[in-house]
Amino acid sequence: MGERLIAIVAAALRVPKSTLTLETGPDDLQAWDSLAQINVVSEIEAEFGVSIPIEQVADIRHIRDFLRYLEKTP
Amino acid sequence: MKCALLSNVNVESIARQMEHREVYIAQGYGAWTQELADPTSGTFSFGPSSVFLVIDGTELLRGQQGLAPTLAEVDAHFAWIERAAERSPGIKFFVSTIDVPARALRPLKEEHVERYLEQHWHAGIARASASHANIYIFDLKELVEQVGRSFLYSSKRWYLGGLRFSTAGEKLIGRELERILDAQLVARKKCLLLDLDNTLWGGVIGEDGVKGIQLSETGEGARYRDFQLRIRELGKMGVILGIVSKNNEADVFEVFEGHEHMVLRKGDFAAMKINWSPKAQSIAELAQDLDIGTDSIVFIDDNPVEREAVRTALPEVTVPEFPADTCELAAFFQRVYKDCFFTLESTEEDRKRTAAYLANAKRAAERTAAPSIEDFLAGLGTRIFFTRACDEDLPRAAQLTQKTNQFNLTTRRYTEQELRALQTTPGAEVFIASVADKYGDNGKVFVSIVRQEALDTAELDTFLMSCRVVGRFIEDQILDQLVKQLRTNGLSRLRVQFIPTRKNAPARAFIERLQGGRLVSNGESGAETWEFDIANASPVTKTGYAELVTQSNRAELVQQPAHFSEILS
Repeated sequence: MGERLIAIVAAALRVPKSTLTLETGPDDLQAWDSLAQINVVSEIEAEFGVSIPIEQVADIRHIRDFLRYLEKTP
Repeated sequence: MKCALLSNVNVESIARQMEHREVYIAQGYGAWTQELADPTSGTFSFGPSSVFLVIDGTELLRGQQGLAPTLAEVDAHFAWIERAAERSPGIKFFVSTIDVPARALRPLKEEHVERYLEQHWHAGIARASASHANIYIFDLKELVEQVGRSFLYSSKRWYLGGLRFSTAGEKLIGRELERILDAQLVARKKCLLLDLDNTLWGGVIGEDGVKGIQLSETGEGARYRDFQLRIRELGKMGVILGIVSKNNEADVFEVFEGHEHMVLRKGDFAAMKINWSPKAQSIAELAQDLDIGTDSIVFIDDNPVEREAVRTALPEVTVPEFPADTCELAAFFQRVYKDCFFTLESTEEDRKRTAAYLANAKRAAERTAAPSIEDFLAGLGTRIFFTRACDEDLPRAAQLTQKTNQFNLTTRRYTEQELRALQTTPGAEVFIASVADKYGDNGKVFVSIVRQEALDTAELDTFLMSCRVVGRFIEDQILDQLVKQLRTNGLSRLRVQFIPTRKNAPARAFIERLQGGRLVSNGESGAETWEFDIANASPVTKTGYAELVTQSNRAELVQQPAHFSEILS
């Protein structure tokens, strides 16, 4: 699932997959600004068919945070 | 190609998605009217050739007290849009229609007033577009209706970042915007060739007979009738229609003449190949008959074997997959239109195209019958109307530079905006000519751009002609006229450039029959520059096959030196 997440984030940010790891987050890449963060959330929601509550969006920043969220979401 | 994207919501994400374009978006997304009103705004300083106004209906209504003031505000918006369009005739403005959802909580006795706003806005665009050549309708509302609000919008993105559209919706809108930009750059296909059996009707005419084929006003056969209706619409937009079918001609004509539900008639087709030859061969012959490149052809056939055979033999022909379920024919055809034939507008020339090709077929028949080519040409009664291009000519002139591949000395592509700029460039002139004969009007078929390169020297930057009128020495006669005009303006040397491409052999033939030229440079990839002394002689000899007309304003072209001698004096 980590691989798949990295691929989705890379596409949303328009950066090569090689620039991303599970620990990458908005502070690490110039392309990952606040607008890009919203796009990342939207793309992950669409790809996995989930809806991340707006209350939790602020706390989900790094790719690993998305992974954790998805793992505990049925 | 630069464009600006103005909106009353945050569209930065759409702009980012259009990766390979230069897209300007205004800072602060409420500012779209100010951007339009101010000629020195970021939008206009950016120098876009297209400006998109993507307007969100809900946001437009925000803070408004009732319908009446909102409608008045819409009128004010359109006044700004029209003023901007008038100020910048070289920029195309694409104004979106709007979608305004009804107030969510609404008793059944209360009307859906938002519809009036949508309609008022639409009427505003329709008026603006009708009265301004450079205002176009970007039908966002239609897009909403096709995919639905739940697909196109996203409440989460709205609350998080003022982004009205879902990512899927943004991709859809972005693709439409790119399609509009591409339509201004890439030549659309010229010709649609159609199979008959199980394509224009259900069943096989040779086996089922006229009464047995599926084709009707209602019921199952209506899917083919609806498909034919779409095809006829495309023909009216200037796409040449043709038939390539393995059949007996007599059987086919029986359907055309005898089936009450046939929409398409023989006269709708510029050419037909109804025989038992391989279809690739028929298509190649047909391209030759019509004098178009095979890469400007789209071929529709239900039979996968035929499709594959054509793809293999003629890979440059576009062969879309045929829908497995023929209920999808109309939807399939809409995709074919968008991918191959999409156009911002159809010119008068476009609408007359099939008639022009049919007239060409008559000319070809006469040519075969005439004792000599000279007799044939002399009998056509050709008249050439040659003039400096004015503003109304520019869309067609740009279209000709974009589409003409065969008789084209330099194959330089120009947008309308670039041509407009050339008109005011000292030392540059854009000429256009239309051609008529006893069989009809071919419309505007010729463009030349002449640049003064030195005190006594002019150069043909562009010299092209639609293949419709090739082979009649029209180009010779026009060059002769150009030379006369240049001479009157005191020029004594003409440079003619020839840049070879895979397709412009007819232009090469023209270069070869010019007289008295001197090859002055032989550039990379075979480009040649020829120089002619025009003080006393003309490079052409094949004249007198047509009457060349210069109208009143054209007379002044000869008398007034125009730009040619003004610039350097």
